Amino acid sequence: MEAGSFLAALTPLNLLLALAGVAAGTLIGSIPGLTATMAVAVLVPITFTMEPASALILLGAIYTGAIYGGAYAAILLNTPGTPSAIATTFDGYPMAQRGDGDLAVALACFASVTGGLVGALALLFLAPPLSRVALAFGPVEYFWLAIFGLSLIAALSSGALWKGLAGGAFGLILSSVGVAEVSADIRLTFGSQTMIGGFGVVGALIGLYCVPVLIDLVAVPERHLKIADEIDTMPIGRAARLVLGSKVNVLRSSVIGTLVGILPGAGGSVAGLVAYSEAKRNAGPEQRFGQGEPDGIIATESANNATVGGGFIPTLVLGIPGTPPDAVILGALLVQGVRTGPALFESGGGSIAYTFIYGLLIATVLMLPVGLLIGRYAYRSIVTIPKAMLVPGVAFMTVIGTFAIHNSVSDVTLMILLGVFGWVVGRFGFSASPIVLGLILGPIAEQGFVQGWIIGSAMEDLPGMFFGRPLSLAIIAFTLMSLCWPMVAARRQARATP
Amino acid sequence: MSDAARAGSSTGTLLVSLFFIVAGIVTLYDTTTYTDVDSKVFPRAAAILLILAATISLVTDLVRGARESGFGNGDWWRRLLLVGAMLACCLAMPLTGFLPAAAIAFLGALVAAMHQRWTARHVLIYGVSGAVLMGGFYALFRYGLNVPLP
Repeated sequence: MEAGSFLAALTPLNLLLALAGVAAGTLIGSIPGLTATMAVAVLVPITFTMEPASALILLGAIYTGAIYGGAYAAILLNTPGTPSAIATTFDGYPMAQRGDGDLAVALACFASVTGGLVGALALLFLAPPLSRVALAFGPVEYFWLAIFGLSLIAALSSGALWKGLAGGAFGLILSSVGVAEVSADIRLTFGSQTMIGGFGVVGALIGLYCVPVLIDLVAVPERHLKIADEIDTMPIGRAARLVLGSKVNVLRSSVIGTLVGILPGAGGSVAGLVAYSEAKRNAGPEQRFGQGEPDGIIATESANNATVGGGFIPTLVLGIPGTPPDAVILGALLVQGVRTGPALFESGGGSIAYTFIYGLLIATVLMLPVGLLIGRYAYRSIVTIPKAMLVPGVAFMTVIGTFAIHNSVSDVTLMILLGVFGWVVGRFGFSASPIVLGLILGPIAEQGFVQGWIIGSAMEDLPGMFFGRPLSLAIIAFTLMSLCWPMVAARRQARATP
Repeated sequence: MSDAARAGSSTGTLLVSLFFIVAGIVTLYDTTTYTDVDSKVFPRAAAILLILAATISLVTDLVRGARESGFGNGDWWRRLLLVGAMLACCLAMPLTGFLPAAAIAFLGALVAAMHQRWTARHVLIYGVSGAVLMGGFYALFRYGLNVPLP
């Protein structure tokens, strides 16, 4: 942690790269279909001629900016710009609909910066010990983590639990379309070559969240968002006070994000969902999650940006990428000739690692002015642009964004059909969110379950495999608490009401 | 909600539940063709959960009556035009290339979303804006991000 590394991160070039990276990442992340992974992957070749530390700072800044940028579309269009912003739609869009879109965008910025700083500080001070968490997580823990994420369906489906469960199960089935995760069976394709690749998460997200909004938008002349009385200024002070007033939520969500980021393969979407679930479980009786509750945005955005620093912990210490963008950055590191491992943090070899971490911290701080500035214009554009321009513009971006994922027209067709399906079932009480939860968590759950089953069978101790490990038991306990909490809270409230 | 709307909503809810039940049964049938038992466990569990949850939802709606709003108000031709234009874009893309196909989706969505009377000014402004937007994003994706757009 030499001062030299800190000063190296503060060179004009590195500061400029951090600023440009955050701005580019925020803009790319705000476009539905362009994920943080894609943003980093596309810009990797630019870094090959740079100094390793500068290259890492640029890539880290793009990554953290893209995760935050995903919140714009989630809040203003009900479409997660990146999968990490799924849970941001739950309260962000209702806030925007009632005229608090500017507040929601500012909240997302403050929460993202705070979460990003917590993740980066964990990377700075706790990288080697925290990397052991990644090694402690086996297939069964991943399975239970996915089940924990799915338990959010109960929280999301207040008053329509069975419809939520049906949607979640349908999402799980959609996630199993194509080649099986563990064996090589081709499932539920009905002979179609198009379906062998399965349903892509990003395309499905765009379809299930964005297309229904467009279908509703065109049908009536009214605007989709209520325009705030004052749109010339962002409610920065109010947003800052709300985030400061939710210190426990911010800290808890940031820690969740950091820990989930450490787990290879989990990523920002799982972190956001778990943090949202915990925030809702700990909410007061006056808080209305799912109906425009600021704490929902704070939880999700602080958690998903904390995964950036968290994900770098196993990447740099163990050479195991914590999240998909980390895998791309790991590749860029190898091209630069940087060897990952605990030695990277020791004196001598540590200068690159620490310069990068300081650079990431600086980029995260720079995200505050950049994010608020871009957020202000994003909000103003969305609320003032005529509907006749907004709808075709967004429709065009859904097409080009979905096509860009696999360069496939079939993906675009599936996206539109899923969108129409989501709109139809949504009109009859079957929300899109449980379907998306199933689609995202299905592969994690299946892979963990099947691998756990195989290992448990070989050890001739299946119950011990699934229910005998301390980490598994802790996650099971959290899952049960998450499932039972709505009933307990309702009973408490009923008792308290005379 | 009027009685007619409530009846329509109830029928729609029941149809969606029935669709989910059928989807679960089809999934269960499909699992019988897999060679590896590891491939069957998960979709079977999900299918059984889907059938159970959809059945309970269906029975609940039959007993209590559906409370959803149904398709609500709004112009159907606009909705159909939007979806039709987007699907037509997919069909046209391999034949015409990306930009002409995307223009179909854009124009369809523009007409569907236009609730004001068309004027020459609208045509000019929206036409130029659309061309700039599509051209700009095409250039960004094709040349900036190296996406091989057809």
